Amino acid sequence: MNLTARVVVNRLAQQCAYKRIVTFSTKPAEHAVPAQDEPKNVEVPPAAPTQTPAVPPTTPRKPIIPANYRFVYPEFLPDPKVEWRNSIREKLERLDMLERRKQIDLPEFYVGSVLAVTSSDPHAAGKTSRFVGICINRDRCGLRARFVLRNVIDHQGMEVVYELYDPTIQKVEVLRLEKRLDDSLFYLRDALPEYSTFDENMEAEPLEEGAPVPVNDIKVVLRPRPWLERWERQNLRGVANIDQYLKDKHRLSSARVQKPWEKYDMMKHYRSTIAEEEQTEIFAEVHTELHTLELQRKRNKRKRTFLKPKHLA
Amino acid sequence: MIRTAISQLMGLRPSGGLLTQVRDKGHLSRPRLRNPQWFLRKEVTNRGDLVTAENKHFINDLVHEGFGAPALIKGVQTYEQNLIKTRDLATPPQTWTPQIRRCGVIARKIGQYPLWLKNGERIRTTLLQIVDNHVIKYIPPEEYVPKPLPGQRDSAANHKRGVLIVGSESTNPVQLTKEYSGIFKDSGVVPKKNLARFFVSPEAALVPGTPLNASHFRVGDFVDVRGKTVDHGFQGVVKRHGFKGMPASHGVTKTHRRAGNIGGGGEKGRVWPGTKMPGHMGNRWRVIRGLRIWRINSKYNVMWVQGSAVAGPTNGLVYIYDTILPLRKNQEAPPFPTSYEDSSEDVWYEKVHNFKDESIIYEKE
Repeated sequence: MNLTARVVVNRLAQQCAYKRIVTFSTKPAEHAVPAQDEPKNVEVPPAAPTQTPAVPPTTPRKPIIPANYRFVYPEFLPDPKVEWRNSIREKLERLDMLERRKQIDLPEFYVGSVLAVTSSDPHAAGKTSRFVGICINRDRCGLRARFVLRNVIDHQGMEVVYELYDPTIQKVEVLRLEKRLDDSLFYLRDALPEYSTFDENMEAEPLEEGAPVPVNDIKVVLRPRPWLERWERQNLRGVANIDQYLKDKHRLSSARVQKPWEKYDMMKHYRSTIAEEEQTEIFAEVHTELHTLELQRKRNKRKRTFLKPKHLA
Repeated sequence: MIRTAISQLMGLRPSGGLLTQVRDKGHLSRPRLRNPQWFLRKEVTNRGDLVTAENKHFINDLVHEGFGAPALIKGVQTYEQNLIKTRDLATPPQTWTPQIRRCGVIARKIGQYPLWLKNGERIRTTLLQIVDNHVIKYIPPEEYVPKPLPGQRDSAANHKRGVLIVGSESTNPVQLTKEYSGIFKDSGVVPKKNLARFFVSPEAALVPGTPLNASHFRVGDFVDVRGKTVDHGFQGVVKRHGFKGMPASHGVTKTHRRAGNIGGGGEKGRVWPGTKMPGHMGNRWRVIRGLRIWRINSKYNVMWVQGSAVAGPTNGLVYIYDTILPLRKNQEAPPFPTSYEDSSEDVWYEKVHNFKDESIIYEKE
């Protein structure tokens, strides 16, 4: 793990600096307000869950929603496609999600985090199976939110797609909480196997409470072509040696399909995101319940850490 | 029609030895160009833009006096209507028999999301919200005389079933024409945005003003859902019928998304009726039959129905009926003629996993 705390703080500050953020993106938008312009934001550790701050007595108390909720619970934000939206459906969906979250602890994780998922095994009745792997993608919203875990087992790459709210999942553990430089890590399929190999019996690496989620700026080494996708067209930041395999024709064709103007397309950005006001509305609705669940999780975690030395002895 | 007439004339059955392959859809596939016979203009052309704000306020006050203050009832914007008078007149209880056809409801398709069964299986469900339904009128079978269509001389002389007119989604009557509002005159109901008629057995008749809720159905029952499919406009053969098209390269020119051959030669040297060709796609009434109701939320009048094939876009109108499929018809008496109780509970079918329950573990068989 290669961590640079400075970079982390900068990036998170940037994320909070601009108004609208693509639901599943951890990348700062290129047209965002640079963090240097607003030194105020840098001082605040934004990832820390905000406890009730000192509110002046004149203003009425409002539910304080942590700024990082849209990254921690991205699936609570609905699909921004206008034609598919309906407020009552979304509300019912959120209620169902909360009900499920009361039954199972679904922790905060990101693309790049290492997870262990224990789920009922349809091929072995009454038993469960546990799969450890790195989360290479998270997508969809609401009850159909899902993520992909990847690991290399016996020299064979394995990927499992889990639905976050599937009731056959028994337990989701985060073994290593971190982010990567890209929004999805499908390029690990074409990388050397050591980059997606994780020990099945890996111990959880707990983070300090309130610490920002570290960004692992590891650069993976790709295998030579043929590849599953044309990675050179995707502006990947987490790949070390892509230039090594590119010929001029690849560079030309890649340059031809680039759309550098899209970052100025405000309407496109508007259509593909949920407005900030709406986000606060949604999270205000679910905040109290999510917060109590978080507190409960913290209590359980403390219990677990207390028990640990006894277990080792 | 012509096909049957000819076969009747010749005294032949279509399945006889003669080659009678007919592949047409049985109806013309062109969009309707004229209004139907029963059409009433609904919205006024004079929007009242010149009315002063004070007068608008006065008119709205009048409306609220007549129909009650605006209120959000079961997630739908409507009016607090005082329909107690009509509800007291509820029809004397009748016994239900399997032959009886009950009233249907008007709903909106509000989206889709998965549910899980207790055996771990994931099912896709469509959420249908029953939007502020009230019975407007009942026409008994002997009084129901529909206007004959232009081509027909006599339409359905003796009906066995009466007609229930149901409206959904109350609206401000100021925006509606006199003749449209006249439909609601004797019902005591605020004029509605949407109307539907349901052919019902005389025993299943309802009194005007009766609200229809999700409790009209039971969890586990099967329903037919009728809706108008998404309008795609004039489409080619690849999108409309799923043809494969032709290769993008390797010397192919000008035929990438074309149908190719549309007919043979010799004896069959013509384009056969029903050949799949480009044309208007969608914007048709379609009924999906035999969908199971997995869950009912009475608080928002929402029901979760099997599958994601319900016709129409999200937020589009659909009509829900008891199914007519013989093997999925109601075996036991449903709420008959409708359910008058008003609850706000969430009912799950026994096979569905409630999210409040613990995680599923597969059981040994």
